[in-house]
Amino acid sequence: MKLGYNTARPLVMHIDLNSCFATVEQQARPRLRGRPVAIVNRRTEHTMIVTCSYEAKAVGVKLGMRLKDAKKLCPELIGIESDPPKYKFVYHQLMRIMNDYSAYVRMKSIDEGVIDFSETTARIGERNLVDIGYEIKQRLWDEVGVAMNCNVGISTNRFLAKTAAGLNKPNGLDVITHHNLREVLAGLELTDITGIASRLEKRLNAVGIYTPLEFLDADEEILQKVVFKSVDGSYWHKRLRGWEVDKRDFSLKSAGRQFVMDGYRLPHADVLKRLHHLCEETGAKVRSKGMLARGVTVYARTYDYGGWHAKYMAPLPFFSNEAIYAHARRLFEGAPNGIKMIAVTCYGLQPVDIHSRQLQLFGDEIAREQAITSAVDEINERYGKRVIHSADTLGSDTYLKEKIPFGSTRYME
Amino acid sequence: MNDEIFLNEQVEVVAVFKPGRTMCEPVKFRRKSGRVVEVTEIGLRHPVTHGKRMMHIFDVTDGGADYRLEFDAEHLTWRLTIEADKL
Repeated sequence: MKLGYNTARPLVMHIDLNSCFATVEQQARPRLRGRPVAIVNRRTEHTMIVTCSYEAKAVGVKLGMRLKDAKKLCPELIGIESDPPKYKFVYHQLMRIMNDYSAYVRMKSIDEGVIDFSETTARIGERNLVDIGYEIKQRLWDEVGVAMNCNVGISTNRFLAKTAAGLNKPNGLDVITHHNLREVLAGLELTDITGIASRLEKRLNAVGIYTPLEFLDADEEILQKVVFKSVDGSYWHKRLRGWEVDKRDFSLKSAGRQFVMDGYRLPHADVLKRLHHLCEETGAKVRSKGMLARGVTVYARTYDYGGWHAKYMAPLPFFSNEAIYAHARRLFEGAPNGIKMIAVTCYGLQPVDIHSRQLQLFGDEIAREQAITSAVDEINERYGKRVIHSADTLGSDTYLKEKIPFGSTRYME
Repeated sequence: MNDEIFLNEQVEVVAVFKPGRTMCEPVKFRRKSGRVVEVTEIGLRHPVTHGKRMMHIFDVTDGGADYRLEFDAEHLTWRLTIEADKL
């Protein structure tokens, strides 16, 4: 039997801040409003653009472009170095506003989140969601600033709500229901669909699916057995019809940080110093979530040979900066020369269990390490990040600044 | 690239504390040189912490230049930390 469209009342709202970092900068500095602005992570012309304002996008400036290339397209483009505390503040303001409407709010990244109105109070639940969408826009203007615009999408599941939020940028509000689903999909390309990039597009094309409407009408079995070769095919079949398959929370499995080198072909000793700094930040992240790690991965991208990585799974869990760095340094011995980017990730994260039998075998040693690490963490929490750190990473804060990652916002609570 | 000049200048500030978007509104400030800057708009007020120490950052403009004022909530001092007068 073919699955029909979800005809239930749309109760999922997706909110997306428009060109978030650039808009926040335009809010903070009124003289930037109406001008093309590009946000970059370094104060240099050779750096990549992280995001740009709609004024810059209008003249062809794109994310990932080098600032100096973008300036050829748009000579009046203003490059601004990213300022994470500002973006975190706006993120928290958006989250605060969203939390007023439902017990179920999930931030998908620093600039977008979902409100599920199926878990709200009866009084809010009976209100028109379009009115609530406009109210949230108004609150964002009143409580954060007049330059802050957001897109709102409403539908029966997360996927269609996000699709709706992308229909009319900037500052749109759209609803997708079973009534207009076909009409909306008819106006999109396959790669406009979140989750479908060129690789999946080719696989869909191979079975004669060239448009989102053909994707919607495709047989579930073909999607599952031929295109996706997994249960994903069935998920897509449901997702496109407005049924919820993405209401899932994932536990924290790994934590890490990466860094693009601040110099060309730095010697290994200098790269190692930067790796040490990354290990310290990764250790702080792991411990801040009350976790222990089992493994470490070191990844490097080089100028000549592409990617390189090495990983190690330890017999016992570990948590201190020193332990993470000791494993990472050993792995790094096999790294190639000419490193452009380095990353360290702790994986196999598990909650701290001080009563674990394995840990008790090494009780005294671990207790000592834990006491020192806790004391250092406590001092850093009281007086500021990295007030106490390894002598090896002295001065590294000047080039390894805090940056905002796209994607997970788990460390921003 | 950015046009900002980074400073660490103690300034005298006239501010109004009232309910609203920013709760505290710097109205004008006097720089070390004696020049008085009249704030015409507060772009954003956001907090930053240095450990347990709270600072409130005000991005403001007088229409001709943008300024960043930092209010140290522990020591009750104001500092001018950024000035950007070109675009």
